[in-house]
Formats: sequence, C-alpha cells, structure tokens
Amino acid sequence: MKDVSDLILPENLRYTETHEWARKEGDEIVMGLSDYAQDQLGDIVFVELPDVGDSFEGGGEFATVESVKAASEVYLPVDGTITAVNEELEGSPELVNGSPYEEAWVVRFKPANPADFENLMDVSTYRTFCGDQ
Amino acid sequence: MSLDLKTTALHGWHVEKGATMADFGGYEMPLWYDSAKAEHLSVLTHAGLFDTSHMAVILLSGSQSYSLLQNTFTKDLDACIGKNRGPLVPGRSTYGAFLNAHGETIDDGIINQLAKDDYMVVVNAGMGAVIAGHLQDQLYEGVEVVDLTDRFGKIDIQGPHSAKILWKVLALPEVAFAELPYFSFKGHFLSDTARAKEITLKDGTPLMLSRTGYTGEFGFELFVPPEATEKVWQLLLDAGEDLGITPCGLAARDSLRGGAVLPLSHQDIGHWPFVRHPWPFALPYDASCDNFTKDFLGADALLAAEDAPYTYAFVGKDARKVDTEEAVVLSNTDQEIGTVLTCVTDMAIGLVDGEIVSIASPDRPEGFAPRGLCCGFLKTDRVLEIGTNLILLQGKRRLPVRVVTDVRPHRTARKAIKQMI
Repeated sequence: MKDVSDLILPENLRYTETHEWARKEGDEIVMGLSDYAQDQLGDIVFVELPDVGDSFEGGGEFATVESVKAASEVYLPVDGTITAVNEELEGSPELVNGSPYEEAWVVRFKPANPADFENLMDVSTYRTFCGDQ
Repeated sequence: MSLDLKTTALHGWHVEKGATMADFGGYEMPLWYDSAKAEHLSVLTHAGLFDTSHMAVILLSGSQSYSLLQNTFTKDLDACIGKNRGPLVPGRSTYGAFLNAHGETIDDGIINQLAKDDYMVVVNAGMGAVIAGHLQDQLYEGVEVVDLTDRFGKIDIQGPHSAKILWKVLALPEVAFAELPYFSFKGHFLSDTARAKEITLKDGTPLMLSRTGYTGEFGFELFVPPEATEKVWQLLLDAGEDLGITPCGLAARDSLRGGAVLPLSHQDIGHWPFVRHPWPFALPYDASCDNFTKDFLGADALLAAEDAPYTYAFVGKDARKVDTEEAVVLSNTDQEIGTVLTCVTDMAIGLVDGEIVSIASPDRPEGFAPRGLCCGFLKTDRVLEIGTNLILLQGKRRLPVRVVTDVRPHRTARKAIKQMI
C-alpha cells in the first residue's frame, strides 16, 4: 500500500472524502477514482456504469467498482445529470488501476449547481485527509 | 501494525515490498503485493510463492497416537490412500477435519504419518493450541502432543514451474522427486529427527517437502527451520526468477482455492454439522454412503443430523461478487433460502459458449483473456440439484449464479512430477 507521500494527486483536480476526483470542463465535470482509492481497492475486475441521462444527488451512489476484495460504490461529487460514461471501463476495468486520472475517467456530468464544485477539496486538503485515514 | 497481531519471519520482507497487509487468523499477513490478479494468474502459468508460516503444526508420538487420531479425525486412517483406499503409511498425507461431539468442525487439517506411532498434523492459523488441547482432552495415555506453532517456517510454491524451481535448490532433486505422488512428503524440518537427512537444500538446510497445497494447482508445501525461512524464500525467488516466479498474498490464495472448490475453515465449514457439503471424501463413508467405516468423535451426530444445512459450490456469470456478511441466497422464485459463505473472483476463468474455460485449458480459444468469474460456497436449508440457477442478493445487486460441482477446469494438482520437470 502506498504512503501518502507516494500518492499521485494532480494539482489541478478537486477531491471528495469518498476518494473521487473531479475536473471542470466547460459547464460539465469529469470525474473518476483517486490514486488513493485504486491503491486501497487493489485490482479492479469489473465496473458497473450508470446510463446517460440519469440524475443523482451529490454523495449519491451512481456506479460500482469491483475489486479483488469487494464491490465498492462510487459517489457523484455534487448534484448532477450524467452526460457521458466511459464504456472502455466495462471491457478494461484494470484501467482504473493503471491510469486513474486519464484513461479511467468514469463519467462526465452536468452539475445542477456549478458553484458546488468549489466546495470540493483541493489537493493539499485532500492529501492531509488521506493521511488521516 | 496492530500491536495485537503476530507476525511471521517474512513480515519485514512483505512490508518492504509494499504489500497490502491484513489480519488473518491473528497474524498480519500480505493480501497482495502489486496485483492480486497477476499473482493469481502466475500460479496457473508459472509459479507463485506464498508465506504460510501462520499455519500451525502439531506433533503426536507414542503408542496410542494412531488410536487418538483415528478416533478424532474424520478420515479413516485405515482406508484413505489411493483409489483402493489403503491405510495411511509413513510418507503419506490425508485431509480431513476434527469435530466436536455435535459433529461441528473445530478445524480441518492434514495428517502426515512420519513413522509408526509418529504423526505431524497441519492445521490452520491460530488453531495449534486449540487442536492440541482438543487432542489432549481425549485423555489418551501414551501420546505426547506438541504444538509447534511459530516454531517453523512454511512456504508454499504452487504452479507448473514449481518442481523446476525446486530442482535448482535441492541437494539431490532426482531423489527428492522420485515417488512423491500427490499427498505424500519427504524430509523433516527438525534437524534432530530421522527424516531430516532425507531432503536438504544444497547448503544442508533440512526441510519437509510435501506434495500438497491450497490452490488446486501442481506444487509443494515446504516446512523449514524457523531461522531459515527468509533464506529459503529468497533462494526460491532467485532460482525462479527466469521461470516467472511471483510472490503471492492471501487474496490470490483465497481466489485460487475458491476456483479449486476447497473450503476455508471457520468460513465454509464451522459451527454446523460437517455433512451435506462438497467434500464427502473427507468423511469415512462406506460403499452405501449411509454409514461410516469407523467410529469417531462427532460421527453419531453426523449420522443423526437430519436438520443439518446443505453446502454447495456456485459459479457466477461475470467477475461481480457480493459481500458474504450482507448477501442472501434467493431461489428462482425469489424466496430466501440461504446465506453466502465464500464469494471470490477466480480471475483465470471465463465462460465460452456457457462452459467454464481456464487460461490453462488446452482447448481455450486463441487469445483467450477472461475477465474472471465469481465463485464460492453457499449454505441453504434444502437440497439443490446441480445446475440450479439462484440469485445472490445484496442490497439492490442481484447476481445470477449456478450450483456446480466444480469451478476451474484443468487444474494440475495431481499431475505427475515427471511431466512437470
């Protein structure tokens, strides 16, 4: 398991207490699982995605990633409606381990209230949060 | 690290390699190093190395040791070897369980006969004192019972290249591997015993080499002097480097044994009668299968256990699992009929035209790269036909599974050594 100092946590992303990352792209948000999440879960062997058009509340379960240990829920960082899902993950779930911030984006969604994004943790707050886990 | 957990001689090595560690049977053990999936697959394609020093060994000696084991172990020691069910003899091993008077499992284990009136029993982590105490409680005169917990190192090497790797480190490999069928052993790790000279490493380190394992694949369990554990581990890693040896954690061990339909003690067998399960070979059934060939502690309770639950192996349709703590088993009419004991993903198998195929299957399609299938054991209150379709329900997750007798095909555990060198 990685030490907190070894976690790869890009500066330009925001993070959640449930270990998702989020990035603003225009009026949409792209999100996935953090390096901390994939390291804790171990090999991801299956990903269940929502449908485009589904709406979820912030903190609501919208996807499931299955690791060698167990199935874990993925939570939408803020209220929003799914606009795209990364279907690559259904065939290649191991991308979550190998490329959590690039190839393994999970969904793109339109936030109900764009200002909510600013409430997510920045990288230094999140790194401290991981250290306290 | 939790202060309450014990460690093996290899704990420092595991931590230094960045293993994800967890409590197993009171020991802090590696779950995986880099990738549990890669570790699992390595045992089917090359070789995996497992630290299993957390397991327990008990020695029994004395004129009544045979009688004590025959009266407490579920296997008939007079009829347990080979297809013709010959008696246990020195150098051979047999699998069974120790039960209480209610027929419930205290632990499962392997009995190795070292010599006449001289046995070594291998049981699970933390169970050395429990089983030693249980045996002593039977009050047999003339038996010495010694719990060797934490006084040996145990390393399992499993996978098709296991014998080739061992060949490089053993002093006289051709002698070691001659006449060493499945469930037999040679040597001993205690240097003052007669068997210790049978098998040694090139540097003279004595060891017990056992043709057993917990993966369903070809391989060996090595019992070594405790102070030699780290040296033997590194020796095997070095010797196996060009043959693709991979250190494996307990996650791979769990998923491999799940696919091999082997039970985990205190999870798949436990505080309920040791009958109506996929392991009838661990019981001394006679030809009628209604009675036993011997009497033993718990036998009466098993024969009278009309309300005992049924245990079955199952396999799913993809890699998804359920949490055994939360999931229930539903019939095809959505009636709740049981609980899930084990649920793991065997990452080496997939479905091809409805049949389970392994990456080691000779008839696998070209480029076969399975995503894995969930499998395990369930406990139910009723008889189920093999092939019955069921649902594992956890929250809103519904996994379709099928009752089966076997999961991962083309396992290699019983292959002759000469085919594997």
